[in-house]
Amino acid sequence: MAERKESIEARDFGWMVAMSFVFFALVAYGLYREFRTEWRPYQTQFVALLGHYGHADDAASFHPGIHQIWNPKIGVTDRCITCHLGYEWSSILPATIAEPLTPHSTNDWLAKHEFAKFGCTPCHGGDGWAVTAEGAHIGGKGWEDPLLSSALAASNGLTMNEMMQMRCNFCHRHDAATPGMEMINLGKQLYKKKKCVLCHVVEGRGGSTGPELTYFGDKNPELLNFAYVTGPRTMFNWNVQHVTHAGVVSPKTQMPDFNFEPQQARALTLLLLSWRRLSYPAEYIPDPDAAVAAMATPSPSPAATPSAAPSPVGAH
Amino acid sequence: MIDYLTRLWRKASWSWSPESDRESSEAIVRNLWLHWFPAKVARASIDWSYSFWLGTASASLLLILTVTGVMLMFFYVPSTERAYGSIKDLEYAVSFGRLLRNQHRWAAEGMVAVVFLHMARVFFTGAYRGSRAANWVVGIVLFLATLLLSFTGYLLPWDQLAFWAITVGTSIAKQAPMVGPTIQMALLGGHEIGQQTLLRFYVLHVFFLPAFIWIMFAYHMWRVRKDGGLAAVERVRNERAMAPKATPTTKSYSLFGLTPGTSVQVMSSTGLEEQDQVFSSPNVTRRLALVFLIVFNVTLVAALLFDAPLEGIANPAVTPNPAKAPWYFVWLQELVASTTVHLGPLVVSGAFLGGILIPGFLLIILTLWPWLDRTPLTSEGRWFPPARKRQNATFLAATFAIVVLIIIGVYLRGPYWHIYWPGQPRPTAPRLY
Amino acid sequence: MDNDRRRILRFLGKGSVLAAFVAQLGAAGRAFFPNVLYEPPSRFKLKRPDDYPDGYTFDAANRLFVIKQGPSFHVISAICTHLGCTVQWKDTEFDCPCHGSRFRPDGTVISGPAPRPLEWLSTMLSPDGFLQVDSGIEVARGFQLVVGKGKA
Repeated sequence: MAERKESIEARDFGWMVAMSFVFFALVAYGLYREFRTEWRPYQTQFVALLGHYGHADDAASFHPGIHQIWNPKIGVTDRCITCHLGYEWSSILPATIAEPLTPHSTNDWLAKHEFAKFGCTPCHGGDGWAVTAEGAHIGGKGWEDPLLSSALAASNGLTMNEMMQMRCNFCHRHDAATPGMEMINLGKQLYKKKKCVLCHVVEGRGGSTGPELTYFGDKNPELLNFAYVTGPRTMFNWNVQHVTHAGVVSPKTQMPDFNFEPQQARALTLLLLSWRRLSYPAEYIPDPDAAVAAMATPSPSPAATPSAAPSPVGAH
Repeated sequence: MIDYLTRLWRKASWSWSPESDRESSEAIVRNLWLHWFPAKVARASIDWSYSFWLGTASASLLLILTVTGVMLMFFYVPSTERAYGSIKDLEYAVSFGRLLRNQHRWAAEGMVAVVFLHMARVFFTGAYRGSRAANWVVGIVLFLATLLLSFTGYLLPWDQLAFWAITVGTSIAKQAPMVGPTIQMALLGGHEIGQQTLLRFYVLHVFFLPAFIWIMFAYHMWRVRKDGGLAAVERVRNERAMAPKATPTTKSYSLFGLTPGTSVQVMSSTGLEEQDQVFSSPNVTRRLALVFLIVFNVTLVAALLFDAPLEGIANPAVTPNPAKAPWYFVWLQELVASTTVHLGPLVVSGAFLGGILIPGFLLIILTLWPWLDRTPLTSEGRWFPPARKRQNATFLAATFAIVVLIIIGVYLRGPYWHIYWPGQPRPTAPRLY
Repeated sequence: MDNDRRRILRFLGKGSVLAAFVAQLGAAGRAFFPNVLYEPPSRFKLKRPDDYPDGYTFDAANRLFVIKQGPSFHVISAICTHLGCTVQWKDTEFDCPCHGSRFRPDGTVISGPAPRPLEWLSTMLSPDGFLQVDSGIEVARGFQLVVGKGKA
């Protein structure tokens, strides 16, 4: 009896000891992983950088950890600055510093769109909640709003600056024209010239021959017919081809073939994709008259000439 | 000093590692945590190969889920505007949040599987006969509560995966005759899934169902004691009864664990011999701790290696293609999708046939089986006795069919619910840009 | 020998479980200390130095006064040191509407129930050229931030 009792204990003993060690190892690994974050090395580099450029005080008072710009008025929780620490240091750090510490490039409209008021994602896209590069730039499965990188823009035949203008139009939708938004301005001109509103309802007014376009940017891409579309299966590509040769993409349509130039089609598509169900507080909506007045006196920015200039907003 | 500390430690922990038979017996009386155990259990019932300790594994998972769940409650917000963001915060901004959420998710999915395996074990060993029939029904109720807990928790992240899985699930519920729409209205708090649904599912998931399952679990354990232990003791008792015996063995068996002696002796209530039994403390307690440790390690490994899914925020206007129920319900979805019957002008909806009728029928048969079982009682408490061949084979076949349907639903169904074999390219959903 | 090994292994095993369990408790406790705060940060930016006129400018949203004299700046908190109401600038003194405390232009108490002078808040220039205040750090009366020539 005693030996059988012992044999139960003996058999279990080995397993108990083994599982105890495994438990210890797993917990230790869990702790290690929690502290080995992606952003920590960048923050250490940044502190060294500040010291190197003569800002020892700021280096000493730097708090390591997750940094975020939080603005509940527009629903922004942007932790991009946990890695992109140089964003407000463009007057001290050179633009040649490697990402993610590169300071934000200066341009005319940055002064009117302060970091604390706008955050990062309203202009750049991406997942502000994330603190890993992949999580923030691409987002997980089904994240519809990736970072508007040069690569993504190039795959749509655009520069990063041009693609970002789509997001500018989230707030600037009702400007007749806005300095710095050349593609959108072009799109708005075409929209007026071709009288889209004769067949499509937009913002409560228009004809019912075609579908309503007020929130075209929210449309489910799966509902589009890609049977006659060449190239990537994206809503952007579909719309560029549809707006140029409607009869090819939708054989039974009444929409005329407008035969746009590629750049015109892309401008119009950017405009349409910018039309989304978004609401911002009143102080964020720009005064449409101010924009028109600003267009009348163009600023001496190199970005004022469309498509000829290289992208002035960061180098990715 | 060391001696004093050692004595103090011994005073606090003696009941967990008894050093004599007397201490073993006293442990279950004087330690609150051990009071559920009998002084002795049949050795056969603690065999790994009998029960695989699946019941203990289920209970371990329930404990892990409760503790991780309560931790999560400090961070999750059950509001349609803030739920998704609170999960993102858990993933990125809360220390150990990702690990916590992962462990909760994998323990939950694991519990559905382990509870099912436990039920299968009980069925295969015929451990639901006689007085154990009541506990079988309690077990079915616990299994349904587990499924409901998993289902209500599934909605809480409020992402596309959650929203549409619950859409599919509640639409199946709506097909129940007469009461269907009422059930759906009560579940959803409306016709659509919205804030009221999220709040209901949250309260069900964090309070009502856990309270219910813990109370029923306690009753489940109480019934095990009342039934005299696991059904393996019946097998041992049958074997002993068939073996020739010189004189009836008696021993005094009482709460106070007195050893055999010359005072008044009572027939042992369990009818088991000395040699068939071991002390609960430390044999059962040690294995219990071991099983818990193994289960915990498995959930921790899963949590470290695999991330719980989180898709885009719930969008009622966009249905993902395809939209699937959680894996433990996807076999129902398969049935629903393929059992629509056209009898001339009459159409019997697959949602009713495959979603309500067939699983309802299976559930009723399963619940009533202890009373429908006609095999002799000598077959209980053992694995695959010849007398139980037919019913075990049927159960196995039904389980296999369900598993096949689950595999098809999870791995082989693609957009528009078409079958795509592994290696076959699937159409990717078009993106925005 | 075998028994000794068992004793050592048992001790190590129990020790591992105990250590890991304590570590888990520690991790659970750590999780309750937020890494991000959904609050306005204690260090925040105001406007650019050029956007302020000379004299006393009231910032209602941040509850402070920005005082400019040419290139020199300092910031005085508008929170009354008595019970926390927002004081008002009356050209020659600060008056608190709640219980009548009065403060000199440098924040010291003239009369009333206020126990301490109004706080002077740490002021600096942000890297991108905005006036920046850290409301959690108090500086001595007389502190000046001179813009264009570095800190005073």
